[in-house]
Amino acid sequence: MDRRRVAITGAGVVSPLGNSLEELHRALAAGRSGIRPLPEAIAKPSGVQIAGMVEWNPAPLLTPAEATNLDRVSQFALGAAAQAIEASGLDLKAENLERFGVHWGTGMGGAQTLESSYERVYGRNDWRLRPLAVVMGMNNAAGSNVAVRFGLRGPFANYSTACSSSAMALGEAMRTIQAGRADVVVAGGAEALLQPGTLAAWFALRTLAPADAADPAASCKPFDKRRAGLVLGEGAAAFVLEDEAHARKRGARIHGYLTGYGNTCDAVHMSRPDRDGQVRAMRQALAESGLAPEAIGYLNAHGTATVVGDVVECEAIGAIFGDGTVPVSSTKSMHGHLLGGAGALEFAAALLALEQGLLPPTAFLEQPEPACKVRHVTAAEQVAPPRAVMSNSFAFGGSNVVLVAERA
Amino acid sequence: MDTLARIKDMAAREFSIDPAALDPAAPLDTLGIDSLSFIEFMFKVEEEFGISVSDEDLRGIKTLGDLERHVGAALAAAGKG
Repeated sequence: MDRRRVAITGAGVVSPLGNSLEELHRALAAGRSGIRPLPEAIAKPSGVQIAGMVEWNPAPLLTPAEATNLDRVSQFALGAAAQAIEASGLDLKAENLERFGVHWGTGMGGAQTLESSYERVYGRNDWRLRPLAVVMGMNNAAGSNVAVRFGLRGPFANYSTACSSSAMALGEAMRTIQAGRADVVVAGGAEALLQPGTLAAWFALRTLAPADAADPAASCKPFDKRRAGLVLGEGAAAFVLEDEAHARKRGARIHGYLTGYGNTCDAVHMSRPDRDGQVRAMRQALAESGLAPEAIGYLNAHGTATVVGDVVECEAIGAIFGDGTVPVSSTKSMHGHLLGGAGALEFAAALLALEQGLLPPTAFLEQPEPACKVRHVTAAEQVAPPRAVMSNSFAFGGSNVVLVAERA
Repeated sequence: MDTLARIKDMAAREFSIDPAALDPAAPLDTLGIDSLSFIEFMFKVEEEFGISVSDEDLRGIKTLGDLERHVGAALAAAGKG
């Protein structure tokens, strides 16, 4: 069966490492971290001291009037999507936008709107909420705002599966194009939940790393013996995924192809990761792409830096690739864990390896955990551009999503 | 600043419209203000003037001029006008 091939023709990011793909790639190549101390007003009540924070100015993308009526997560989504569409060179005025869709992912949605609303009613006993609270706070607002702003009237979907949300959005967007239901899908994800109440809930979970006393930027240490948990981040990443024939017809620059998508559920525990579920997802993605494990020249791991999670993932990687073969890194060491936005941002990181052969490192990895028997990238490495790359996203709730992209 | 000027100033900022282009007699939809945007705007007007406009009164507001009259009446009723 001949399936439509899905080309990647544009990408954009809003991230703790900068608000363009170029800035993200520069920071990753330099091993620079965007993890910083949170403002006192957030850190003090929540107990969470550090995060991967975005430096964000809605202008010039959004007027002050527009920004007032958009949750931070929607602003990030629009920022990333606008870059991706611009980079794709698509002339939206000349296209049939009923064939253009949006597939988006977010874990929490409009956290800023939800928190400020609850603060008003419970904190100040003021029960008059702004009328836009519902449409600003709802989970699908970020993706819907992308559709509205660019007039994309084709298939829309919003995935909310915690840390695999945006990877799933990319995978399902690939399906939508393969099935012929759309020619182009703007796919990605966003998260913006660095709000005191939400952070307090994360703090209670006892899964966050404390601030590194000597260097807060180095607080997230995936695969290191000293790892002490994850560091939350915020941001967004978006891609223009396009039917190859459509892209070729308009002479678009193709950055690579999304060719494999694995999706499994552990179905054993809400938070404890499961090797078998991860192995099956990686196997599915490889099988779909028709590639042998040897074709994968870089693997962007889920690698959150939790004590248990990193070991389980390395075991799963070993089960597919054998120990110590495929170069592996967790870029969360630099941008933190974007939760619903993680899969998309890390796919953007993997593109650096795919297109330029520049393997981004696991920053601050100095004392590798002996149980993590993978081939670590501890400093950026320049290699010949690999045939393909893989990106893992594993979520609370047991959802595992694995993406495989191939060189153009 | 009189009530209409304050409302026009707020509307200009909320909807990114040139204040000079805000005709108090023009139907709101011709100014590009849809019903949801207007409800959000009304919330801000109520906060700004410290008044409350009922749903029934809200339905009768079709122009910025209508809005000014309602705000003026509410202010007068509250002894603020």
